[in-house]
Amino acid sequence: MAPDPSALPLRPAVLHILLALSTGDLHGLGIADAAEAVSEGTVELGPGTLYRSLSEMSDAGLVQMVAAPGPEADPRRKYYRITPSGQAVLADEVARLERLVGAVRSRNVRPETA
Amino acid sequence: MSPDPRGPDTTPPPTTAPPPTQSPGPTPSPRSATLARLLIRLYPRAFRDAHGQEMEHLFRVRLGRSTGPVSRMGVWVRLVADTIENAWVLRRRARHQSRQRGEEGAMNTLIHDTRQALRHLLRAPAFGVAAVALLAVGLGANITVFTLVDAMLFRPLPWDDPDRVVMVYQDSDDGEPNSSSFPAYRDMADSDVFAEVSAMSPAFAAITWESPEGPLDLAAEYATASYLDAVGLAPLRGRWFAPEHDRVGSEPVAVISEAAWRKVMGNDPDVVGRVIRLNGQSVRIIGVGPREISGSYPPRTTDLWLSISSTPLSGPFRVSNLDRRSDHWYDVRARLAENTTVEQAQAAMDALAARLAENFPEFNRGRDITVFRSSDVRIHPGEDGSLFLIGGLLLSVVVVVLLLTCANLANLLLVRGLGRSGEMAIRRALGASRLRVARLFLLESMILAVAGGVAGLALARWAVGMIPSLPIPVPGWDHVELLFDTRVVLFAGGLVVVTGVLFGLAPAVRSAGADVAGSLRDERRGSSMGGATRRLRDALVVVQVAASLVLVLGTGLLARSLSALQSLDPGLDADRVAWVRADLGRAGLEADELRIAVDEMIENVESMPGVTGAAVTTRLPAQGGGSTTTVVEDYTPPTGTDAVELAFAVVSAEYFRTLGVPVVAGRTFGPDDSPDGPASIMVNEAAARRFWGGAQQALGRRTRSQGGSAWRTVVGVVGDSPVSTLSESTRPIMYFFSGQRAPSSFYVVTRTDGDPSALLSPVREGLAALRSSVNITGQGTLAGWLGEGLAAPRFAAGMMGAFSLLALLLAGLGIYAVVAFSVARRTAELGIRIALGAGRDRVTRMVVREVVGTVGLGVLAGLVLARLAATRLDGLLFGVNSTDPLTFLGAAAFLVTVGVVAAWVPARRAARTDPVEAMRGV
Repeated sequence: MAPDPSALPLRPAVLHILLALSTGDLHGLGIADAAEAVSEGTVELGPGTLYRSLSEMSDAGLVQMVAAPGPEADPRRKYYRITPSGQAVLADEVARLERLVGAVRSRNVRPETA
Repeated sequence: MSPDPRGPDTTPPPTTAPPPTQSPGPTPSPRSATLARLLIRLYPRAFRDAHGQEMEHLFRVRLGRSTGPVSRMGVWVRLVADTIENAWVLRRRARHQSRQRGEEGAMNTLIHDTRQALRHLLRAPAFGVAAVALLAVGLGANITVFTLVDAMLFRPLPWDDPDRVVMVYQDSDDGEPNSSSFPAYRDMADSDVFAEVSAMSPAFAAITWESPEGPLDLAAEYATASYLDAVGLAPLRGRWFAPEHDRVGSEPVAVISEAAWRKVMGNDPDVVGRVIRLNGQSVRIIGVGPREISGSYPPRTTDLWLSISSTPLSGPFRVSNLDRRSDHWYDVRARLAENTTVEQAQAAMDALAARLAENFPEFNRGRDITVFRSSDVRIHPGEDGSLFLIGGLLLSVVVVVLLLTCANLANLLLVRGLGRSGEMAIRRALGASRLRVARLFLLESMILAVAGGVAGLALARWAVGMIPSLPIPVPGWDHVELLFDTRVVLFAGGLVVVTGVLFGLAPAVRSAGADVAGSLRDERRGSSMGGATRRLRDALVVVQVAASLVLVLGTGLLARSLSALQSLDPGLDADRVAWVRADLGRAGLEADELRIAVDEMIENVESMPGVTGAAVTTRLPAQGGGSTTTVVEDYTPPTGTDAVELAFAVVSAEYFRTLGVPVVAGRTFGPDDSPDGPASIMVNEAAARRFWGGAQQALGRRTRSQGGSAWRTVVGVVGDSPVSTLSESTRPIMYFFSGQRAPSSFYVVTRTDGDPSALLSPVREGLAALRSSVNITGQGTLAGWLGEGLAAPRFAAGMMGAFSLLALLLAGLGIYAVVAFSVARRTAELGIRIALGAGRDRVTRMVVREVVGTVGLGVLAGLVLARLAATRLDGLLFGVNSTDPLTFLGAAAFLVTVGVVAAWVPARRAARTDPVEAMRGV
């Protein structure tokens, strides 16, 4: 059986997809580009990783497929939207990460370049 | 960052995500697109259906954004890694899910069965290897022959709108559609039923190019300016001939074929406009021919197309025949005018033929003009018959071999199937359908067939490359072009499927139909050959014996024909005669000068040490050559026309003595036949008999060229010797005298007391020293030349022999297998017989006798088949009848012997078994 994509910590691909969709509906290429932009080019979602994650997330109810958002959108592409449960999972993960970062900071461990 | 839900109709801010409609960058090459699709195919089907298109889009964008080969490589590496990782995970998951649901899709069953069939084959690799090798030979032979026959007969012509192209032929003297005279072509071109009318003709003799690397013989065709328009093609470079090139006197020009441009001219970029020396004359190349055609008579290729204005390259005779209505050298291809049907064109040509018959009765009475659809003519109506004969013969031989292979493999699979009948019965008892069981067998044969097909393709690819160097008796054979392309591979694929079904079907049906309970019972008893299987295997042996007999008989007939040719009295003494081919064409001599030059050469060679005779001739014995339409005094041809097509040669006075051909009546040429006096000719006995009833009666009779007024008188008759081919020695021929009609291209023949090949270089050097302008284009001994005439029949007999050997081997193997299996099953019974006092010889004989019946049936069937098939060989046989009883009897006896030996070996082994051992198993 497919692993639960909503299990924390989120897989990097799942986190980036949720993050990208949190600002609006996107198609696959849009998600990949957004992830690349947010990570300043360090994350490149491969086609397999991207669509495998999307299909698992859709099965788990984190995202859903929607119609093309507007007249300027490409009607041939499939668009995805984050669901409320997807937003909740994202929020949980962000909270987890914030706690983690807080814990790190309280121990005065800082990256050298900070 | 916290979630920020938005409505469905808001567009994402461009700061974090580019708009979805962003241009995907430059489109990658089709090859990357194919590779991307291949990678996507690695995903499970359901996933592919849902996301395949989107993924392909992403692939394209990623590749399109990469700049430069290094970054592109990096993108590929990441894409491949991503695909492998995810496709593997998804596939494993899909398989797991389907197993959990207990579902087995049809595809999965097939894969499962295929794997099982493969495993079963691999368990006995010797059988698999042998089967694949047999199939490779059978399929390879078929693919090779298909490639050849397809090129000769079936491959569509690459013309534009070929349905509108027609071939127009004037009748030959025999009243059959044949080539047309050039004046008749001009008349056809005036007709308004055609949009374009073109004429072409092979140059017959090679055209010698004085290339920078030395003289090189090129194949050439003459063609008119309208040719490419008629067939709807365009030159690759430069241009084709213009109308002004259609007459002698304007500039001689040539178009080089695309293949020759590549091979001979090394892709010279400045080829258009280049002036080259051909046969001693300057010719300008004005274009490179269309890529679609490599000659007008496929599969023969041409190096050059020459304009009509280049005709002087082939000598004055060729120039003068452009104006002669008696010479039919040109093939007319035309494009029908708009809204004109073939029938209308035929009606117009009927009217033209009638008009020509009225205006030029001597040449055209009774000579029809026929319009053919381009699809009804392959090369030429006069040649298509022999093409179909050779093609059909080759195809039938290889089909028989494939049939034999199939019968044999079916037999072997049956034997293997018997060993598995218990296994199959259990499968059936456990619920496998008949279809599923049959499919298991069919899969096994299909796997073998596919493997055999792949090996066969490789074998054929090699064999096809050899074909142009084989001595096939078709003119221009060394210039054939055979394509090994998708068409051939598709044919091979189809053949593999048919073959696989053919040899797999019998065992499959047999095993699927087996009675479950009976098989299980038999299995325990160790005896499992039911009556039906036994009959099936006997039938297969009958097929094998019959097919082998047909091939053995064909070999026998061809071998006897070959030996008849070899023992043929050629009517001349070919030992100790050498020949050197010389060409004075580029010297540009007038007729008188040429005669003097030729005489000088003969004298010069005669005076060489060791030479006992020297002469010139324009054609060697058993060599195709010119013929001319001739009116024969006091003779009416049976065809009702006024004239006959008569072969001719131009020879010097000593030619017949030099070759040892006897003068049987009258005299040979001599000083009495002066250059300015009345023309003298000599004929062979065949001509004398045919036209005038005998050698003596021929003396003093006359012939003239159709349309000419000058009569030539027969002064002598010589014995018959081979004219065009070795097997055709009784064909009429007439000889002109070189002292009256000096040729510019000829053979210098010399007789010596010693080794004739030792004469070659002194003669060559002597000729070159005498005239620096002479071009030596060939040399050899006469015995060697006549031996080459046997190459084609020797090849035919050899090929047939090789296939018969293969067939015999297969049939012998088949019989052996049947007997071996049958005696193995009957070991106990044979043991009892021996124990009860039957002699071992008697037991052997008993077993063999049982097989002899089956073999005899096969021989009978084979004799009937062979009797039907042998008539097809008639055109290839010499000195032996295709129904020759001796050959039939011999072939039948031979096969019975092979059958008995194949049966005797295992029978003998069975008879040697110890009766006590044999009975222990009861």
